[in-house]
Amino acid sequence: MTTQTHGPHPSLDDPSISVEDVVRESIVDAVPVARTEREAEFYTLRDGELLLNMGPQHPSTHGVLRIVLKLDGERVVDIDPVLGYLHRGVEKLCENADWHQAICYTDPLEYVASLFCEWAPVVAFEKLADVTVPRRAEYIRVLTGELNRISSHALYMGWFALDLGGLTPILWSFIERDEIVEMLAAITGQKLLFNYFRIGGVNGDISHEFMSRLGDWMSRAGAQIEANQGLLNENEILVRRARGMGVLDRETALRMAVTGPNIRASGVPFDIRRAHPYSVYPELEFDVPTRQEGDSLARYLLRGDEIKQSLRIIDQVLHEMPDGPVMATLPRLIRPRPGRAWAAVEGPRGMYGTYAISDGTDQPFRMRIHDPSFVHLQLVSLLTPGNLIADTMAIMASLDPVMGGVDK
Amino acid sequence: MDRALRSRLERRFGERLLSPVVQRHDETEIRVAAADVVDTVRALHDEPDLHFILLADLAGVDTGTHMQVVYHLWSERTADWLRVVADGLDREAPRCPSVTFLWKGAEWMEREAYDMFGIVFEGNRDVRRIYLPAAYTSFPLRKDFHLADDASRSPGMGVRPMEETLPPRDATPATNIRRAQAG
Repeated sequence: MTTQTHGPHPSLDDPSISVEDVVRESIVDAVPVARTEREAEFYTLRDGELLLNMGPQHPSTHGVLRIVLKLDGERVVDIDPVLGYLHRGVEKLCENADWHQAICYTDPLEYVASLFCEWAPVVAFEKLADVTVPRRAEYIRVLTGELNRISSHALYMGWFALDLGGLTPILWSFIERDEIVEMLAAITGQKLLFNYFRIGGVNGDISHEFMSRLGDWMSRAGAQIEANQGLLNENEILVRRARGMGVLDRETALRMAVTGPNIRASGVPFDIRRAHPYSVYPELEFDVPTRQEGDSLARYLLRGDEIKQSLRIIDQVLHEMPDGPVMATLPRLIRPRPGRAWAAVEGPRGMYGTYAISDGTDQPFRMRIHDPSFVHLQLVSLLTPGNLIADTMAIMASLDPVMGGVDK
Repeated sequence: MDRALRSRLERRFGERLLSPVVQRHDETEIRVAAADVVDTVRALHDEPDLHFILLADLAGVDTGTHMQVVYHLWSERTADWLRVVADGLDREAPRCPSVTFLWKGAEWMEREAYDMFGIVFEGNRDVRRIYLPAAYTSFPLRKDFHLADDASRSPGMGVRPMEETLPPRDATPATNIRRAQAG
């Protein structure tokens, strides 16, 4: 038995081998030689069980992900996610780039909320180089970050409905996302991978166009988001499919190292903005919403609560933003003294972290990127067994993984 | 910097620490031998005055001379992140006990560290490659894995300017390993 499953089968040219033989052999080939305990357990099939590949090109997998489902009829018995289709070796690339360049490599990891993927390494590098960031820059970071969080959550709500079979909400949620993306494009010049944060500040002050778009949007954002949610929150189909689905209890959430909205939907008020404050969050007033149910519906509704808190933060930031520079004075090439730093920020999916080691040169010696989607995807094989195939998507979508971050 | 945490850690793990507790910014760092990892994290997790219930991150590190496994932990009892470094893993055959008995979520992070560094986690029931294909033979984040060498076997060799600036492909990898001064 080999694990090779690509390309035409070698025996296809041989007329003495029948098609049935080839099919039978291919099925055997698709089951890899078990190398670990878990793999042996997964690929041992009982009577009546069958393996089904979902993906890598499945519309509901939020990127390129293959999950091997072990099925008993319509019920899922077990799940083995196969990652790596989007693996780009970003950590290695960062170790071969200079400190400033590394930020643009981390940017495309999380293409839905890319500002947070810049934020974590930037804070870690600032700690290494002992840089103090001007206060105005910190306020701008919070402002753009919260906008990005809203756009990500808004899109999530549409996605979630899409995976449950509703087409309209995704079109509605793109209205919100589009507005915010246009706003951010007015200061960053980009609509997807902003690459706006710099070590020591941000790239350029906020512009008049940004402010006028933001003011325009803020005046109706609350009502607009309320309307979008009204489309879904009381929708009979969505509620009945999501309630009680994929319940994650408090203890398991901690054991699985879950962070972000997913752990808050299980009743743990862990939000890094409060649990380990960074930037100017200690000065801002906002609540950390939690829910106790821990099911798909709670995870969905919690995102709605968070959008409201983000709007509250944006409102305060606009009132309190000081004047001043937006960048610290730094040399073009920085060489932080040898040392190590870890920084984590609260993103829309959970904790984005960066562990950076400096050896005194202009390149990171080691740069570790922690992405919440990677951790949360593990939950799929924990929460799904026992449910129907169609509910796999209802559970996975509620965890909100983005494959760019999972695969790095 | 949480001075109280420092003295608490020194008191609790005194003889087990390989080097003095390091504190910088909002981080506290302790170093233990790989053999002590299980006892250390269990104490950090279970004891009420430490109570590090959340595993923030698990990462492998190749310092060029040896391997490390680095854990970042969070507790509501302190304002610092705690970094536990399992130090001095043999570079040729790195092995480290798994923490999946405490945080099941570490399973994939350990798989990743195996995939990238070849660190084998004893007790993890699923140590296999996670990103790279099963037939892949090397560990790309090790310091003796050069991008230039890798690119030299690919059709794109010499095209991408970033890789041209790296050591030429005929350089001996052994003399070219970047070693951390601070590891």
